[in-house]
Amino acid sequence: MGLRTQLATGSGRLVRWGLRSVAHRAGSQLPGRLAVSLDPHVIGELSSGILQGSVVVCGTNGKTTTNNVLAAAMEASGRSVACNRDGANMVPGVAGALLDGAVDMAAIEADELSTIHILPELKPRYLVLLNLFRDQLDRAGEIDHVQDTIVAALAASPQTVLVTCGDDPLCMGVAYRAAEAGTKVIAFGIAEDLHLPADRVPEARFCQRCGAELTYEYRQYAQLGAFSCPACDFARPRLDYAATEVTVGREGVAFDVSGPGLPAPLRVTADFGGVYMVYNLLAALVAAHLMGVAPDAFQRALDGYHPANGRLQRFRVDGREVVLNLAKNPTGFNQNISLLLADDRPKAAFFVVNDHDNDGNDISWIWDVDFERFAAEPDLMVIAGGIRANDVQVRMKYAGITAPLAGSVADALAMVADLPRDRPLYVLTNYSALWSAKAELERMGERL
Amino acid sequence: MSARTVRIAHLYPELLNLYGDGGNILVLKSRLAWRGLGCEVHEVAIDDTPSFTDVDLVFIGGGSDREQRIVCEHLLRQRSELAAFVEDGGVLAAVCGGYQLLGESYLMGDEKIAGLGLVDLYTDRGDPRLIGNVCVESRISPQPIVGFENHGGRTHLGPGVEPLGRVLSGFGNDGVSGEEGCLYKNVVGTYVHGPLLPKNPGVADYLLSHALERRYGTGSLEPLDDAAELAANDYMRERLLGPRA
Repeated sequence: MGLRTQLATGSGRLVRWGLRSVAHRAGSQLPGRLAVSLDPHVIGELSSGILQGSVVVCGTNGKTTTNNVLAAAMEASGRSVACNRDGANMVPGVAGALLDGAVDMAAIEADELSTIHILPELKPRYLVLLNLFRDQLDRAGEIDHVQDTIVAALAASPQTVLVTCGDDPLCMGVAYRAAEAGTKVIAFGIAEDLHLPADRVPEARFCQRCGAELTYEYRQYAQLGAFSCPACDFARPRLDYAATEVTVGREGVAFDVSGPGLPAPLRVTADFGGVYMVYNLLAALVAAHLMGVAPDAFQRALDGYHPANGRLQRFRVDGREVVLNLAKNPTGFNQNISLLLADDRPKAAFFVVNDHDNDGNDISWIWDVDFERFAAEPDLMVIAGGIRANDVQVRMKYAGITAPLAGSVADALAMVADLPRDRPLYVLTNYSALWSAKAELERMGERL
Repeated sequence: MSARTVRIAHLYPELLNLYGDGGNILVLKSRLAWRGLGCEVHEVAIDDTPSFTDVDLVFIGGGSDREQRIVCEHLLRQRSELAAFVEDGGVLAAVCGGYQLLGESYLMGDEKIAGLGLVDLYTDRGDPRLIGNVCVESRISPQPIVGFENHGGRTHLGPGVEPLGRVLSGFGNDGVSGEEGCLYKNVVGTYVHGPLLPKNPGVADYLLSHALERRYGTGSLEPLDDAAELAANDYMRERLLGPRA
């Protein structure tokens, strides 16, 4: 390690110590930012201290959960692990996660557009690409641009193996191009029709190679499923790792996984729900397995995993169950609506939409969410919140729902106070609203 | 037929739906239904050959470069029909990428692509992209038009084309002229992308009343309770311009 890197890491650690011990803050950005400013190649220098190599996780939805489960599984197998657990997923956050020095492995969440800076430095053994959906168009640009960036990042780190969702035409668009440039690709997916209620296909209706309209043998959600192009050979690939015997419910998911090197049948179970969670956990399992983590260590880690970052967290406040989840783009929101509709209790929902820079300033996406599906839910009470509460209210009005405004979770709870206590309140927020909602719920109630 | 009905052609919703453009159709449909008026929406798919003879209102949304190009190639075949529709006073609303298609040409990278040539305007490019909330004063809406714009293109209007309005906050057509969008006969083009109509009920009703006027000779519309829409409009107007004097 050169003098410059030593200075960079030393300064970063000192600032982090100061933030944690003196200022009592998590300090997920500043130490790394300082280290990068002193040594732009600090990630590359620090990567040599990761003895058994690293995995980078990217994709529009599910990065943080997938990466944290992966890190927990690595730890359950007895390895020391570097991980940006709180989801600081651009260059400073990644540098900050590596400041502690030598570890066995690293599980690193990366923003899709940051892969172009992170991969050439970190040279991870695997890049996990979970999915690609429309998200923050004002910042991320069109999906084509995100795909181009990931392809370029892989080209700049030729030893990195791409582990990606074979069910997602947009991920496979990246995989085809990366493979042509020499990247090794491993595909995972769900190898059976889950017969889920249809939602809309926001993008990728058309072939990534020739532009013809894709056809589906079956579709799980959004554009994910057993797709093929009627005009060329673009199709869901043979899945290297496939989930079957899938059960999906609000209370959890379970599935079998088959693939090279795995004992058959390998059953994975988790007590948090949603079809997207099957994909996340399948990706985490495959990455863990490829890194040499035994399946029993993975399941052990999963059994002990409790989301603490506002993703699908459950609370009880004055005897009422409150479910908190992140919903920051149309597909994420549509999946949340599926979760909500799968809960057969009458319920209330509080939708919170902010438009800070880290949310995306443009909230046009709320018009791409299928709120019309609530027509099947006559007793649902909806409350609108966040900086753009008025826009949420208008969106609800055109979905046939009268939604009053609330300024906080406490206000929303006061509005539903007259409803029976056994009716849960779902609090769905986009990115920046998640932390304040979580803090409020931790103050007012208890974790379930 | 008792109730007046508006026939809407939504052009290529599968391709031109970058920013929640479907919201515009939902708003038009709802505002007709709330008044007891009829609405038929025909979603034109890429392999369809649309006819505009029985259409009252055409909507064109925004798409990515690639999608915009596919659409333009298809639509060029219908150019003369669309031009006849426009010249006959047909109502056409185009946002974002759809707005650029209305002109003589636009740039994709460095390549000049022929547009539909329905309105005397053309689009070149500039740096940087013009991104952010926007507020526009327009004669077609009692409230300022508020929304979001995100475009690399710079659109220039020909001498006979009226801008949709004056930029109060944001960039508009080119970031320098202070003009936003275009108005030509019953064509409304704007960079205010995606869900233009939900927070701008005045624009929605302008389109609907002109469509009804053309078909039935009367474009009168019952007033609606727009409290939620106007609150959302007001919030953004105040945020961008400060409290009303």
